[in-house]
Amino acid sequence: MDSRPTRPDGNNGRRTNYWLGGLTVAFLGLGGFFLAGARSAAPVRAEIPLVDAKFLDTSPWRQTYADLVKAKEDLSDYDCYACHEKKSPPPIRFDAKGTIVIPKEHGNIVLGHGSHDRNNLCYNCHNEQNLETLQVRDGRQVKFDNIPPLCGSCHGPTLRDWEAGAHGRTSGFWNRSLGDIQRLSCANCHNPHAPRIPTREPAPGPHALHQAPVPAEPAH
Amino acid sequence: MPAPVPPPDRTSDAAMGRRSFLRGAAAFGGLTALAASLAPLRELGDFTSTEEFLQKYYKEMTPEEMARVLARIEREVKHQYGIRPHVRDLKPMDGVEFVYCLNLTRCIGCRKCVHACVAENNQSRNPEIQYIRVLKMPHGSMDVEKGDHNYKDAQVPDKGFFYMPVQCQQCENPPCVKVCPVNATWQEKDGITVIDYDWCIGCRYCEAACPYFARRFNFTKPEIPAERLNPEMAYLGNRPRKQGVMEKCHFCIQRTRAGKYPACLEVCPVGARKFGNILDPESEVSHILREKRVFIQLKEEMGTSPRFFYYFDK
Repeated sequence: MDSRPTRPDGNNGRRTNYWLGGLTVAFLGLGGFFLAGARSAAPVRAEIPLVDAKFLDTSPWRQTYADLVKAKEDLSDYDCYACHEKKSPPPIRFDAKGTIVIPKEHGNIVLGHGSHDRNNLCYNCHNEQNLETLQVRDGRQVKFDNIPPLCGSCHGPTLRDWEAGAHGRTSGFWNRSLGDIQRLSCANCHNPHAPRIPTREPAPGPHALHQAPVPAEPAH
Repeated sequence: MPAPVPPPDRTSDAAMGRRSFLRGAAAFGGLTALAASLAPLRELGDFTSTEEFLQKYYKEMTPEEMARVLARIEREVKHQYGIRPHVRDLKPMDGVEFVYCLNLTRCIGCRKCVHACVAENNQSRNPEIQYIRVLKMPHGSMDVEKGDHNYKDAQVPDKGFFYMPVQCQQCENPPCVKVCPVNATWQEKDGITVIDYDWCIGCRYCEAACPYFARRFNFTKPEIPAERLNPEMAYLGNRPRKQGVMEKCHFCIQRTRAGKYPACLEVCPVGARKFGNILDPESEVSHILREKRVFIQLKEEMGTSPRFFYYFDK
């Protein structure tokens, strides 16, 4: 005799069957859904162009006379007595407003030294008696390949910072026992005639992980 | 008299009853769903090798074990990028504590430091990871909430603004180190807070704890173009990371522990960045901290005591 307990309604376990059937359908449905999702392609990311190599360049903005000598470049620009006469200092001309007039032979020079252009006088730095050197106001003569003493004669704190490595670009080794520091000269960054650093184009900004889609250009 | 026995659920001579079949089918369906839900694991291409999985914690590795790990990294990089790298484990130098000084009067906001860092440290180009973020700040405020990350000036610097690059400040009291549940990040004795990429579990607590947005997470496998890979690598530095680990500025540990300047400093065209050993009184950072007058540590009130000093000149 079967000793299983009976249910009063004697449903033959129909509810169990419905439950099991329902769960089976639900799980198979979930399985199908997951499988369909698993084969979908990964989300496409917007293309981010590689940064232009000019933004990775470490070469100085300008070349000094010393750099040109070292690279054995053409130094004819610095041969003043090719045009000027020795012992005959070239005169400086001013216009009606008192602004210096740059002769057209030196037209590539744009003067803009000092606030309110207060240092716009050639012979403040150039030596009219010997055009191949520069002069400091205290009478010292400075050669073109070693200009920091000239610039530093007015910009003293900057010169002291530069000598300590705190002004301007340095490269190489912070640990001097392992290698040398390379310091640039003043004219590697500053144009002596217009020393203020000009503005320039910045590198591109950050690209977020999720970009807003860029609207396509409307056809004209 | 016993109650009537319910008829058995076999209405035919079938080998299995209805209930048993349905139970079996439900179980099968459940297992199918479970297996299908695990299907994305099939796409996990580069599962970690056994060697990497059993690798020890950095601070517990013997030199021989480290040599084997470095050899494994060299093999993996050669396999993936076709370039054999030079991977070293550089230790901190004695009597050295690094400090960074950044001259806000000089910074022009050109972002060259951002890209030099990316190139030097093998960061992912897509999705983009950049350790340095340059903020365009209006004159008169050090409130970083006012900074613009996404400035697209045609020419820099723009009048009325100054530019402030922010990267990991290598804090003396780092909150990221405190919250790491597995000690995958810690501060070394030369001041650099480092990450053991093979120990990081990717929980991103450190990213939440950092007040400076210094930490970056690899949401996907990093994409580095092979022609721009930097083969001079360090274990705690610029070796290529994998998906699911954190990374951040480590003061170019592969360069600075060899005595060189970090890449961001080398590329800065105006010399706004100054780096060195603060324990050396002759270094330029010591000179700056002695001679200059106005210094700012970002978010000083957080008590993190950063090793990054922003200063104004003149």
